[in-house]
Amino acid sequence: MRELLYRLKDRYHFGTPTFQRDDLCFVTVKRSELRAILTELRDVEGFTHLTLLTAVDWIEEQQFQLTYMINNREANLTLALRVMLDREDATGDTIHDLWPTAATYQRELREMFGINFPGSPRVDEEFILEGWTDLPPYRRDFDTLAYSQQTYHDRPGRETHDPKTHMQKVLYADYPKGAK
Amino acid sequence: MSLRDVLSPFTAWKHVINDPVTIKDPFSREASDRYRGFHQNDMDKCIGCGSCEEICQNAAIDMVPVEGQNAGPGDSGLRPMIDYGRCCWCALCVDVCMTGSLTMSNEYTWVDSDPDAFRFVPGVDAKSWDLEPKGYQREDERRLTGTVRAPMGETCPEDRIGNFDEIVDGFTAEQAIIEADRCVECGLCVATCPAHMDIPDYISKVRDGDYEGGLQLLYETNPFSQACGRICTHKCETTCAAMHEGDAIAIRWLKRSITDSVPRERYFDLIQKPDVPETGQSVAIIGAGPAGLTTAYDLARKGHQVVVFEALDKPGGMMRYGIPEYRLPYHVLDHEISVIESMGVEIRCNMRVGQEISMDQLKTAYDAVVLSIGLHQGRSTRVPGSEKAEAAIDLLRRITAGEEVPVPEQVAVIGGGNVAMDIARSMARLQKIKHGKVGVTVTALEELDRFLADKEEIEEALEEGCDIFPARGPQEILVDGDTVTGLRTWKVDAIFDAEGRFAPKYDEDDEMVHPAGMVVEAIGQMADISLLGAELTEQLEWNRGRIMIDADGQTSEPWLWAAGDAVSGPDVIHAVADGHRVAVSISRMLTAKREALQ
Ligand SMILES: Cc1cc2nc3c(=O)[nH]c(=O)nc-3n(C[C@H](O)[C@H](O)[C@H](O)COP(=O)(O)OP(=O)(O)OC[C@H]3O[C@@H](n4cnc5c(N)ncnc54)[C@H](O)[C@@H]3O)c2cc1C
Ligand code: SF4
Ligand code: SF4
Repeated sequence: MRELLYRLKDRYHFGTPTFQRDDLCFVTVKRSELRAILTELRDVEGFTHLTLLTAVDWIEEQQFQLTYMINNREANLTLALRVMLDREDATGDTIHDLWPTAATYQRELREMFGINFPGSPRVDEEFILEGWTDLPPYRRDFDTLAYSQQTYHDRPGRETHDPKTHMQKVLYADYPKGAK
Repeated sequence: MSLRDVLSPFTAWKHVINDPVTIKDPFSREASDRYRGFHQNDMDKCIGCGSCEEICQNAAIDMVPVEGQNAGPGDSGLRPMIDYGRCCWCALCVDVCMTGSLTMSNEYTWVDSDPDAFRFVPGVDAKSWDLEPKGYQREDERRLTGTVRAPMGETCPEDRIGNFDEIVDGFTAEQAIIEADRCVECGLCVATCPAHMDIPDYISKVRDGDYEGGLQLLYETNPFSQACGRICTHKCETTCAAMHEGDAIAIRWLKRSITDSVPRERYFDLIQKPDVPETGQSVAIIGAGPAGLTTAYDLARKGHQVVVFEALDKPGGMMRYGIPEYRLPYHVLDHEISVIESMGVEIRCNMRVGQEISMDQLKTAYDAVVLSIGLHQGRSTRVPGSEKAEAAIDLLRRITAGEEVPVPEQVAVIGGGNVAMDIARSMARLQKIKHGKVGVTVTALEELDRFLADKEEIEEALEEGCDIFPARGPQEILVDGDTVTGLRTWKVDAIFDAEGRFAPKYDEDDEMVHPAGMVVEAIGQMADISLLGAELTEQLEWNRGRIMIDADGQTSEPWLWAAGDAVSGPDVIHAVADGHRVAVSISRMLTAKREALQ
C-alpha cells in the first residue's frame, strides 16, 4: 500500500497517510482530485468495492470530513480517503456513477448531516427520518438531549439530585457558604 | 430483465435442504457476548458522581439517594436510577463512568405490564442479570475524559537550592485549559474543601478563559485564594472523581492559574466592598494570620469597623513567618493582604496583645474580640541538651524577618512533618549560599512512608541534598561547652503502645551520632496564651489545653470568639473556614445588639 501511495503521490496531492494497520490506511486528498483518484484506484489498482462513505462534523474548524473507504479484495487492502468540505456550503461531489451504492450513502448523509450531493439519485427524498424539520441530527450543534426531552415523556414521579447540593445538605448544611 | 433475474427465484430453492438460519425458540435466545442490555452497577465502586446522568442524551438517568449508601468523603451517596422507557442503550454512561462501576449485561428480554418496573437502580434493586459477566464493558484503555495531569514546570534542584525563589512555575494558559478540560464537574470535592469552595464552577471559568469571573468566584469563599493556590494542603484532590482511573485534577494549580492570570491592579476593581451602611460597631481581632484576616474581611464587608492587632512586624501569620518564600513568595502575600485592607480593615502591626494592649482594654473598647493567635511556641523534645536546640518556627521567623541566623556546615533536624521539611530546606539553602554545599540531616520517629510531611516535600528535600534518617528517636543533644556538636539517636522499634498511646520503644544497641553544629526541633507547636492573663484564663472553659469553642467559634465568654490553629487547625484553608464561621456568628450577635438598641 505504501508503494501504491508512493506511485500516486507525484500526480495527486496527498496528506500524510495514517496507517492504522498494514492493510488499512487513511489519507486526506483534495476535493478537486477525489473523483480522479477514486476512478484510478477502482479501474487500475483493483479497489473495486466501496466499503462505506461517512462524515464527521468538525464544527470547531467549520468543516465536514467525508471518508470514502474502498477495498481491494484481491490484495486485501483498505484505503480510506478523506475530503474536507466547507461546513457552511456543505456540498460534496456525487460518485454514484462510480459506485451505484454511493447514492444510498449520499442520501443518508444528506438527511443526517445536511450535506448535499447534487445529481445523486433521490438524494432529497426522506431516508429514515420522517417529517424531520429540525437541524440534521448528526450535526454537532443539534441538541440531542433537548430533542429527546421535547419528544419523549418522562415517567411521572421522576426526581434527581445534584451530588454537590445533596452533599451540602447532608454533610455541611450549617456552614456559612461564602462571604455574601 | 437479465437471465439472472429470471433464474434466481429457482436457485433459491436449493436452500430448502439447508439448516434454517432462523431460531426455533426466539424467547430463550441469548444475546451476543457484547450486547448492550440492562445495566449493572458495582455499589462498592460507584461514587455517585453523576457523570452518567450528565452524559445521557436521553435524560434517562436520575441520581437518587438509596438505602445503605451514605454521603461521605468522595461519595455523594447517590446512585443512578435508569428509566428504560427513555434509554436507547447507547452505553455512553458506561463509557464515561469515572470508576468503571457501571457496565451492561447482555440481558435485554423482559416483559412486564407495569411500566414503572422499568425504572430501577442497577446494583441496588436486585436483578437476575446482576452477576452476568457477558455484556458491554468499556474497553480498557478507552476513556472519554483525560486521565493524565497536565505537566507543571518546576525549577530543577540545582537551580533552586542556592536561593529562595519560587519553585513551581504555575500553569501556562494552555496547560490550565487542558487540565480544566478533564474535570467532569461532579462537585464531590466541594464537600471535602473545608471552605467548600466552588471548585467545579471556577474550573469551568478556567476552561472558558474567564479569569476575572473566576477570581470573583474564588473570593466568595476564600480571600486567601492566591496563597491557597500555592500552598493549600489540597485535600479536595483526594476525593476527586478523576483519581479512580487516572490522576486527580490539579485543583490547587487551577486556582493558582486564575489568581496569576488577573493583573494585580484589577483585583481592586473586581473585589469591591459591598455598598452597605456602616454599623458603627467594632471588632478587635488578635493575630493577622489567615483566620484573623478572613474574619476581618467578612466583618468589614458587612459594615463593621475592624482592627487587627498583630504582634509581629508584618501581617500574614504563619503564611509569612512559617511557610518559606520558595513556596509562597512574600509579594504574593502582600498583594493578597492589600486586597483585604482595601475593604477598610485596619491592621496594626507590632502590637502584641498582652504587652502593648490588654485583653481587658479590647473587651471594653470593642463590641467583640477574636482570638486568632495561631501556634507560635515550638514544642521541645526535652531530651538532655534540648535547651540548646533551636525551634523550627523561631528559625523560620527569623529567616523571614531577615535576621542573621547561625548557619553551621552541618544541621540536624528532629521531626518528619512539613515544618521539619521547611526548616531543613531553608537551612539547606542558607548553607548552599554560605558554604557552597548542603549538610542537613533530618531524623524522625516514623518510617519514611509514614512521615507526616507531604510526599513532594520529602522528595524535594532529598533532591536538594538533605539526608533523611527515618525511625530514629532523639536521645540527647550533644554539647561541648556552649556549642552543639551533634544529635544522638536510637533506632525506633515502635512509636505507640498496644493501646495506641504515644510511647516510643527503642533499640538501644542501634545508636547513631549525627554530627551537627545546630539541632532544630520541629515536632509541633503550641499557642502562647500568656496574653489572656490569669483572670480570663480562669474564666474560660477549656478542652484538653485548648480554649473551648462552640460550632460557631464562640468561647464561653459572650464577647470572645476564637479561630484558626489556636483552636482547630491544621492549615490555612481550615483557618479561612473558621474565619467565615466566626464572622457570621459575630455579625449575628452584632445585629441582635443593634436591634435591641433600636
Ligand atoms: C512552617 C510551616 C509551614 C506550613 N505550611 C503550610 C502549608 O503548606 N499549607 C497550609 O495550608 N498550611 C501550612 N501551615 C499551617 C498554616 O500556616 C496555619 O495553619 C495557618 O497559618 C493558621 O492560621 P491562623 O490565622 O490560625 O494562625 P497564624 O497564621 O499562626 O497567625 C496568628 C497570628 O497571630 C499573631 N499573634 C500571636 N499572638 C499574638 C498576640 N498576643 N498579639 C497579637 N498578635 C499575636 C501571630 O504573630 C500571627 O501573625 C504551615 C505552618 C508552618 C508553621
Ligand atoms: S445507555 Fe445511553 S441512553 Fe441508556 S442510560 Fe446510558 S447513556 Fe442514557
Ligand atoms: S459515572 Fe459511574 S461512578 Fe459516577 S455515578 Fe455514574 S455509575 Fe456511579
